[in-house]
Amino acid sequence: MTKSFGAVRALKGVSFDLRPGEVHALLGENGAGKSTLIKVVTGAHQPDGGTIEIGGCQVAHLTPASAHELGISCIYQQPALFPALTVAENIALRLEPATVGRRVNWPERRARAQKLLLRIGAAIDADTEVRRLSMPEQQLVEIACALGAGARIVIMDEPTASLTQKEQHLLFSVVRDLRASGVGVIYISHRLEEIFALADRVTVLRDGESVGTNKVDDMNEASLIKLMVGREVSQLYPPGDAAPREVVLSLKNLGCAASGVRNVTLNVRAGEIVGLAGLVGAGRTELARILFGLTPADEGELLLNGQRLTINSPPEAVAHGIAYVPEDRRRHGVILEMPIAANITLAIHQRLFPGAWLRLGAERQLALDYIRDLDIKAYGPEAPGGALSGGNQQKIALARWLATKPKLLILDEPTQGVDVGAKSEIHKIIRHLAKEGLAVLMISSDLPEVLGMSDRIAVMRGGTITALLPGGSLAHDVMAAALGQAEKGVAA
Amino acid sequence: MSWLRRSARLKKEWRHDPEALMLKRHFRELSVAAALGILLLFLAVAAPAFYQAQPLLSLLTREAPTLVVACGMALVIISRQIDISVGSQFAVCSVCAGLLAALKWPPFLVLPASIAIGALMGAINGTLVAGLRLPSIVVTLATMVTWREGLRWLRQGEFVNLPDGVQWLGLSQANGQRALIITALVVLVLMALAMKHLSAGRFVHAVGSDAEAARLAGIRPQLVTFSTFVLIGAFTGFAAMMNIAQSPQVDPKSGTGLELKTIAAVVVGGVAISGGRGTLWGVFAGLLLLACISPALTHLHIEAYWEKAIQGAIILLAVVADGLRTRSEKR
Amino acid sequence: MSTPHHKATGWKALLFRHETVLLLVLVMEWLYFNSVGRHFGSLDNTFDIVRHTVEIGLLALVMTPIILTGGIDLSVGSLLGLCAILFGKLWRDAGMSLMVAGLCTLGFGALAGGLNATLITWLRLPPLIVTLGTYSLFRGLAEAITHGADTFTNFPASFLFLGQERWLGIPAQAPVFIVVAIAVWLLVHRTTFGRSFRAIGFTPEGARYAGIPVERRISLVYVLAGIVAALAAIIYTARLGQAKADAGTGYELFAITAVVLGGTSIFGGIGSVHGTLLGVAAIAVLSNGLVHARQPREVAGMLTGGLLLLALSSSVLPKLLSGLRARKSAANVAPIAHQTTP
Repeated sequence: MTKSFGAVRALKGVSFDLRPGEVHALLGENGAGKSTLIKVVTGAHQPDGGTIEIGGCQVAHLTPASAHELGISCIYQQPALFPALTVAENIALRLEPATVGRRVNWPERRARAQKLLLRIGAAIDADTEVRRLSMPEQQLVEIACALGAGARIVIMDEPTASLTQKEQHLLFSVVRDLRASGVGVIYISHRLEEIFALADRVTVLRDGESVGTNKVDDMNEASLIKLMVGREVSQLYPPGDAAPREVVLSLKNLGCAASGVRNVTLNVRAGEIVGLAGLVGAGRTELARILFGLTPADEGELLLNGQRLTINSPPEAVAHGIAYVPEDRRRHGVILEMPIAANITLAIHQRLFPGAWLRLGAERQLALDYIRDLDIKAYGPEAPGGALSGGNQQKIALARWLATKPKLLILDEPTQGVDVGAKSEIHKIIRHLAKEGLAVLMISSDLPEVLGMSDRIAVMRGGTITALLPGGSLAHDVMAAALGQAEKGVAA
Repeated sequence: MSWLRRSARLKKEWRHDPEALMLKRHFRELSVAAALGILLLFLAVAAPAFYQAQPLLSLLTREAPTLVVACGMALVIISRQIDISVGSQFAVCSVCAGLLAALKWPPFLVLPASIAIGALMGAINGTLVAGLRLPSIVVTLATMVTWREGLRWLRQGEFVNLPDGVQWLGLSQANGQRALIITALVVLVLMALAMKHLSAGRFVHAVGSDAEAARLAGIRPQLVTFSTFVLIGAFTGFAAMMNIAQSPQVDPKSGTGLELKTIAAVVVGGVAISGGRGTLWGVFAGLLLLACISPALTHLHIEAYWEKAIQGAIILLAVVADGLRTRSEKR
Repeated sequence: MSTPHHKATGWKALLFRHETVLLLVLVMEWLYFNSVGRHFGSLDNTFDIVRHTVEIGLLALVMTPIILTGGIDLSVGSLLGLCAILFGKLWRDAGMSLMVAGLCTLGFGALAGGLNATLITWLRLPPLIVTLGTYSLFRGLAEAITHGADTFTNFPASFLFLGQERWLGIPAQAPVFIVVAIAVWLLVHRTTFGRSFRAIGFTPEGARYAGIPVERRISLVYVLAGIVAALAAIIYTARLGQAKADAGTGYELFAITAVVLGGTSIFGGIGSVHGTLLGVAAIAVLSNGLVHARQPREVAGMLTGGLLLLALSSSVLPKLLSGLRARKSAANVAPIAHQTTP
C-alpha cells in the first residue's frame, strides 16, 4: 500500500507509505500537517497534486464514502458518534451502506455489535444509548466500528488521550491483534513512549513536510524530538528551588458525592508545584472542578490561606483567588471567536473595569503586556483566539488566569496537544510563577511531566488521594500508586 | 487468540436486562401514555358524556389533519430543525386545493396538487436551511409571515366555496369522518414503521443526533435535512386536503396556530428538542392528550378560554419534566 | 465594540459593514417613498411612524442582548398582551391608581421574564422551547382573564397623553424609547455585561470556565425583556386607548426580524444595538411607506419576511463564496509557499 501526495494547503510534497501488517506512527508538532494528511487519506480533503495509491491501484478521487469502501477507517480523538442512538445503531450506521430505502435488521445489528464489543473486550451493552457512555467507552465503540468494517487501513488519532491505563493496554493489544491480521495502522500520538511500545516505523512531519521515515528500533526519544523540532531541546524541565513557604490551600476530607470525589486531604504551599497524577477517571479533573466551584463540595473542609471557605460557583472561586486553566482548551480555556484582549480580561472584569464600565485602552495595554511577557505569537491583541496555534492558545488561557493575580493556580493537562517547543516554554512559565510564590496544582497524565515539574506528587485513585510522593520519585512508584497494589502487574 | 479469552471473561461479568433498558429508553412515551390514560379515566368518571360516539368522532376527525402534520413535525424536530411555517403552508394548501376543487378538478387530482404545493413550499424552506445553512427557526419564521400575508393579500380573506362531492369525499358524514381518521392513522403507522425500520428513517435520527458524524458515515446531512422539510410540506399539503374535506367552505385563516399545536404534541410526546431521539407513538399520545383538553374543559364546566393557557402549561410541564430527568441522570 | 471581530479596517471595511448597508437601504426606502407618496415625508407622518414603532422597537431592543447570548424569546408579544390586560384589570377592577397599576405591571413583567429565566438557567432548557411554552401560556392567560372578549377602555386623558400627544414637539413616547435605547446600547457596548453576553453567545461553557456568572447574566436578559415588554404594554394601551387580550400578537416576530436584519447573528455572540435600531427603522419605514404608496397592508408583512431572508442569506453568502474561492486559490497559493520555504 502506498500513498503519496503533492501539494495540499498544509502539506508540501509529502510522501508516505503504509505496509500491510505494520503500525506506522505519525509524529509532529501541532500544525505540522498530521491532521491534513489524515483528512486526505480519509477523503475529507482533496489533495491539490500528487497521487494516492491503495493496494497498488491509483485512486483518482477519494471521498469519505469511497475511502470507506476501500477499507480505510479513522478513529478520531473526539469520537464521531451519534449520542442519541444506541451502540448497535452507531456501529451499524458505519458498516451498512448508506442507501436510503433499505430495511433495518435490528436483531442482526444488535448481534453484530455485541460480537464486536466482546472481541475488543468492552463490557458495553449494545442497546445503550451512546450519550450514556463515558469518553473511553465511546472510543472503544469507535474501535469496534473500525474492526467491524474489516478495515485494511486503520487510522488512530491520539486514541489514548482519554483512556485509562487499563484501557490503554487493552487498546494496545487490540492494535497488535489488528497488525497480526494484516491490517495497516497509522498511529498518531504525542506520547513518545507509546510510539516505542507499539510502532514499527515512524514518520515525522514538520511544517507540512516529511522530515524522514525511520524504523522505530533505530530511534530514541532524543533523536525523535530533535527531528520534530529541528533543534535539540537541551533541558526539558526547568529546575525548581526547594524552599516552600506558607500553606495556601488546605483540604481536609473534602468530597463531593455527585462527582465521586471523597475524603481528599491535601496541602499546597506557596512557591510549590504539586503534581496531581493518576489515571483518567481517578477524579483529578473532578477535584479541580470542586475547587473552582463548578461542582461544589458537599463534605469536608477547604481552607485558603487558613480561612475556611465554601465555594459554590466559579465567580466565588475567582473572588477568592483560585484560578483554573481547564483541560479542554478549545471548548473551555479560550473563547475562539473573541479577540485575545477580551479573552485575557474575561476573568478580571470586576477589577479592571470598576462599575462594569469597559476601559478598552487599559485592556489593550494589559493584553500587549501578556503577549510580550508570555511570548504569544499573534498579530495583535485584536486577533481572535481561534486564529492561534494550540500552544499560543494555551498561553492565552494561562494569561487570563495570571491576570487575576491568583493565590492558587490549578492547571489541568497544561501541555496536552501542545507541540514540544511550546511545551517547554509553558513549563518555564509555570516554574517561574512558582518561584514568584504562587501555589500551583498541576494535573497531568504525562508522567515525565509530572515527575519533572512537581515538587511533590499527589496520586489519585478512585476519587481520593492514595499517595503523596516527593518530587523526583520514580515513575514506577507513581504508576503503582495510581494503579493500586492489586493491579501492579498490569502496569509493568 | 487473546480476545477469545477476554470475551469469555466479559460474558460472565456482563449483565443484560432488555426489559429494564426498554423501559428506560421509552420512559417518556410511557409516561405520556399514562397521563393520557389517567385523563381518559378521570373523564369516564367525571364526565361520561365525553364518550358519546358522535362528539368523539368529530373530535378525532378535527385532529386527524393535525396528526398528519405532527408526523412531519416529529421528523423535522428529530433531525434537529424546526418548522413554524406549517400553519401558513396549511392555509395556502387549503385555499389552493379549494380553488382547484371549485374549478371542478376531481379529488384524485386535487390531492396530488395540494401535496405538490406543500412540498414546493417545504423545498423553499429546505433550500434555505440545508443549502444556505441558515437557522431553521428564523427561516421558517420568515416564510410563515410571507405565505400568510401573501395569501391574505391575494385572497383578501375570502372564503372558498366548495362544490358538492368534496365534503366528506362524497361519503356520508359518519363514513367520511371514519375515512379521515383511518387515513391519519395509516399515515402515522407507516411513518412510525419507516422511522424505525427503514434506513432512511434512521438517517433522520442520525443527522439529528450528530450531523458531522452522519457525514463521516456516508450520509448526506444536507440532503436529509432538505428532504425532511420537503416531507413536512407534502404532509401539510395532504393534511390540508383532509381539512377541506370537512366543511363546505375553505377558511383562508385555517391552520392558524397549527405550528404551535404540532410542536406542542411533538414535545409533549417526548421527542427531544436537541434532536435524534423520539418516537411517533409518543407524538400520537401527546397529540391525543392535548386534543382532549378542550372537550375535557367543556365537560368539566371550565371556560374554554383556558385552553391556550393550559396548552402552554402542558408544554412547559413536559420540558420541565425532561429537564429534571436529565438533571437527575447527571447526578 | 461591535468591531473586534472584523479583521480588516479602513473605509472598505466600514462600507461593507452590515450597519452601513442597512443605512443605505433605509435612505433608499425613504427617498423612494418620498417620491411616491405625497405626505410620506411630512413631520406628521414621521411622528406617526415613531408612534407605531415604539412598542416593537422596545421589544427589539431587549431582544438584542437575548439573541447575543445565543437565546431567543418568542414570548414577548404574548407577554405584552398579558401585561396590557393586567394593567387594565388593576386600574379598573382593583381600583389602583394608574401609577401604581403601571408599577405593578412592570413588576409582573419582571416576574414573567423571571419565569423564562428560571426555566432556561435552572433546568438548562432550550430558550426556544421554553419561550414557545410561555408564548402560549401568557396569551392563554390574557384570553382567560378577559374571557376572550373583555376590553379595558376609558382611560383618563392624562394617561392617553403618553401614547397620543406630543411632548416638547415630539411624540410623548419617543423620550421613553430614547432612554431605553441609550441604556441598552450602553449595557451591550460599554459594559462588562455586554462582554459577558457575547462570551455566553459564543460558548456558554467557555464563559462559565472563565468565571462569568452565566446563569445570572442569562437571567438578566430575560428579566429585562419582561420588564420592557410590560413597559411596551403600557405604551401600547396609551396609544390605542384600550387594552385587549390580542395586544401585541406577532410582535415577537417583528422584533426578531429587526434584530436579525440589524446584523445580530442568530447563533449569538455577534451583533449591535445600533444595528437593531436601523433594522427597526427599516421595517417601520417600509410598512408605513407602502401604505403611502397605496399598496395593501399585507405587502409590508410579505416584504418583512422577504427582507429577513435576504438579510440572513447576505450574512451567509460571503462565507460560502469565500469558501469556494479559498478552495480554488489553494492550488495557486501552495506552490508559492513551497518556494519561499526551501
